[in-house]
Amino acid sequence: MAATTTTSAVYINVIEDVINKVREEFLQSGVDEGVLSQLQALWEHKMMECGAICGPIERSSLPKQPGPGGSAITPVHDLNVPYEGPEEYETPTADMLFPPTPLQTPIQTPLPGTSEHSMYHLPTPSDYPTPQDSGGVPEVKPGRPSPYMQPPSPWMNQRPLGVDVNVAYVEGREEGDRGASRQPTTQDFFVVPSGKRKREDLPPQVPGSGYIPQQDGAGDATYDVFQSELYPYQGVASEDYNTVNTPAGHELHAGTPAVVAPNEAGDDDDDEPPLNENDDDDLDDVEGEEPNTQHLVLAQFDKVTRTKSRWKCTLKDGIMHINSKDILFTKATGEFDF
Amino acid sequence: MATFELYRRSTIGMCLTETLDEMVSNGTLSPEIAIQVLVQFDKSMTEALENQVKSKVSVKGHLHTYRFCDNVWTFILQDAVFKNEECQETVGRVKIVACDSKLLTQ
Repeated sequence: MAATTTTSAVYINVIEDVINKVREEFLQSGVDEGVLSQLQALWEHKMMECGAICGPIERSSLPKQPGPGGSAITPVHDLNVPYEGPEEYETPTADMLFPPTPLQTPIQTPLPGTSEHSMYHLPTPSDYPTPQDSGGVPEVKPGRPSPYMQPPSPWMNQRPLGVDVNVAYVEGREEGDRGASRQPTTQDFFVVPSGKRKREDLPPQVPGSGYIPQQDGAGDATYDVFQSELYPYQGVASEDYNTVNTPAGHELHAGTPAVVAPNEAGDDDDDEPPLNENDDDDLDDVEGEEPNTQHLVLAQFDKVTRTKSRWKCTLKDGIMHINSKDILFTKATGEFDF
Repeated sequence: MATFELYRRSTIGMCLTETLDEMVSNGTLSPEIAIQVLVQFDKSMTEALENQVKSKVSVKGHLHTYRFCDNVWTFILQDAVFKNEECQETVGRVKIVACDSKLLTQ
């Protein structure tokens, strides 16, 4: 449960650094500074809950303190005080959520009472645009924050436009933007972290009438079927899709199933489920079922070598989550036998 | 500065992601500013690991699976032993995900 003291200190520094460095962008976007405090408070609260931060956080620097000095201050922890579990933080006070600061008094900060209520109240499912179960349900959990490797939430893939997030997520609405939405400065290695694809990861649907008949071989579409696929919601066409094993002339369905709506594609297409739904290997399933035993090391590698069945690797700048503890390292050497 | 999104899967990254999720969901934050926060987290976490962490670790274990894809190494170890200056931890199964450090210096 407990993090090492050094890990906790680094985490606190990172939180402060992030908060200080996004302040400018918050102000430029016209976001109230109280929102930033709320973000920090909620983030820290979650960290304490899962034991990644040993509280209390001593803010020698007020969280508002901007400028170069703000991030350099290292909180001092008294090692002689026994670690007290996160229980004392189970019910956050208004002070915790909105640390008193000199700057923010007259601004329209949300009332502590009401927003505390809304933040820790279990929301109805309709509040969430995410189609996944695990994605971002903020219920207060005693242990780890959530299973590792949950898929990214839809909003992370949205292009920065003025999106109304209160509108329910419409499947496929943002699909076309997906490619352009990647942050250009970062490498996106974890689009599909669990190996299990959700519906939303299906290939983008061809919008409107943009269906292109396949004309490259055995599965070529004839004109008739091409027409019916253009209007898949009309009676005759949907009959075709639900008729399995219709002889002669219909094997071309195997060609391009992409144009059909996702659930229709499931019925059609030779009883095959949509791509990747059931073809994970056993290992991934095992990991998914036991999120609490999920031990994970995230790092960068310098070198990986192998001699016969002997593997050696040097890693750096890593975060390990092992036996419910977070351990950071600057260098790691690995020796594995395969 | 190039960064990895790798560390978003850590405890601190997941806590931040959940926080942003909630705040975007209840309309407190816009998605684009939430993404900016995540990008800043990528940078801050990388810098903190470079500058504030001194610990060294050694890992031994049986390599169950290895994979190298898109410049990312993934190892799944069985009966792995982690040692650093302070402690030793043993786990039955652990996954190591490592991005190429050279990508950051380019």
